[in-house]
Amino acid sequence: MNVFRRSFRKYGFVFALYLQEGFALRSTFLMERFRSLIVLLSFYYFWTALLAHRASFAGYDRTQIITYTLGINLLRGLVFATRTDQIPAEINHGRVSAYLLRPMNFTLYTFVRDLSEKSINLVSVVIEITGLIWIFHMPIRWPHEALTWLWFALSVGGAVALFFYLTFMVGCWGFWTAEAWGPRFLLELFLEFTAGAFFPIDVLAPALQTVLKMFPSPYLVFFPLNVFLERLTPQQLARGFAMQLTWIVVAAVAAQTVWRRGLVVYSAQGG
Amino acid sequence: MSFGVQAASPLSSICYLLGKLVRLGFFFIFLIAIFHHTNAIVGYTFEEAALFFLTFNLVDILAQLFFRGIYGIRGLIREGEYDYYLIQPANVLYRVAFNTVDFLDVLTVLPVIALLWIMMRRIGGAWTFPHLFLYLALAFNGLLIAFAIHIAVAALAVWTQEMENTIWIYRDLMTLGRFPSDIYAAPMRRLLTFVVPIAVMISFPPKAYLGRLPARSCVEAIAIAVASVVLSLQFWSFANRRYSSVSS
Repeated sequence: MNVFRRSFRKYGFVFALYLQEGFALRSTFLMERFRSLIVLLSFYYFWTALLAHRASFAGYDRTQIITYTLGINLLRGLVFATRTDQIPAEINHGRVSAYLLRPMNFTLYTFVRDLSEKSINLVSVVIEITGLIWIFHMPIRWPHEALTWLWFALSVGGAVALFFYLTFMVGCWGFWTAEAWGPRFLLELFLEFTAGAFFPIDVLAPALQTVLKMFPSPYLVFFPLNVFLERLTPQQLARGFAMQLTWIVVAAVAAQTVWRRGLVVYSAQGG
Repeated sequence: MSFGVQAASPLSSICYLLGKLVRLGFFFIFLIAIFHHTNAIVGYTFEEAALFFLTFNLVDILAQLFFRGIYGIRGLIREGEYDYYLIQPANVLYRVAFNTVDFLDVLTVLPVIALLWIMMRRIGGAWTFPHLFLYLALAFNGLLIAFAIHIAVAALAVWTQEMENTIWIYRDLMTLGRFPSDIYAAPMRRLLTFVVPIAVMISFPPKAYLGRLPARSCVEAIAIAVASVVLSLQFWSFANRRYSSVSS
């Protein structure tokens, strides 16, 4: 119990520290929120224009697609906000040595660091979405079942963990190359599109959807939002959670394996 | 020199190139998928909507290709290198703007041009010299406005040493031109035409090609571009007159 309390205090301090840093870097934060709003607005107008003279599109009615678009903004702020992009630089510049000397787990430290940014984004996203709903009178499709909120929270939690492990693994490529930025850029773009973070992936051709659903990315945005919109049968819900959990385990094992292998080859000068 | 810098990081360069092509490809696939469910978006067919999307890519990529150096001006000022630019016998704006050329954009713009050619040929009745001339003229006009915006951002950096996020505001606003400006409500369209002329830069060329742009709008577009360039160059001169070195 004492160990748990000490750990909680230790990582709680890390959380508070990076929360303060997040509030200090106001211009960077505002830029990220501005970019998300621009994406949201462009797709909101796009879908509104598309559904101006029709009741539904690819199985989504206007309320569902607008809710999906707003949900994208929420999940971009929660799932895709991460500080794992700092890992390659920390490795290449030898700063990770300091973390190795401290009594803390680097993976958990990085995850807590991420959580601080996601917490700030969550508050901001709620304010943004509320403001947009009010200004544009956006229709929202709220869940009819109370249990849906629980499933949604679980699926979002799973998406957060999955994205963290995927990007943590890519960050560890810094052990082998100083050019980890390029592969990360490619991965994040690929994940964004195939996650349904611009549009629902079921507007795509069925064959393409089948291919995309073999990747972990649909479980980052598309799956949680379909849970929220109650578009899944109980069997599909169970299968979705099983797949998400499977991908989390695979990504976690891969990330830890890459991290351990990286430590074997890691060296740093100075300090 | 720029090519050498990119060639020295082959993995990153290849991944960045693939990333840009992935982004282009996925949005194009999205457009194709949309038109499997509908015949038109705000009255535009698939080829016409693709024309808007490809024009956005063309103007955006060419602006990044030619004016990439602006992105690094804050670093030049912070490290004092800008002071040396001022004493060199070369136009400072030219030196700053063309300091870096992203050769990946050269490779990215080629498929865009190829797709543009295909879409233009498929649009019935529009593949004529006058339409093509208008399209190219207004696309160049859009590039001039982009140039003016980059100059203004650079001037702001020289004057205040603060530009980190300004250029990205412009880049993000450009993405609003990905779709035809007709999808936006009237107030938003006016904002995108007269305040931040994204619609002028991106929507006007394809509309002119399709014969849907009034002559008056063509004149307005040219006037906006000329005014933008003149004002931005004056702002650039103003900023440099008030520049004080940070360090060198």
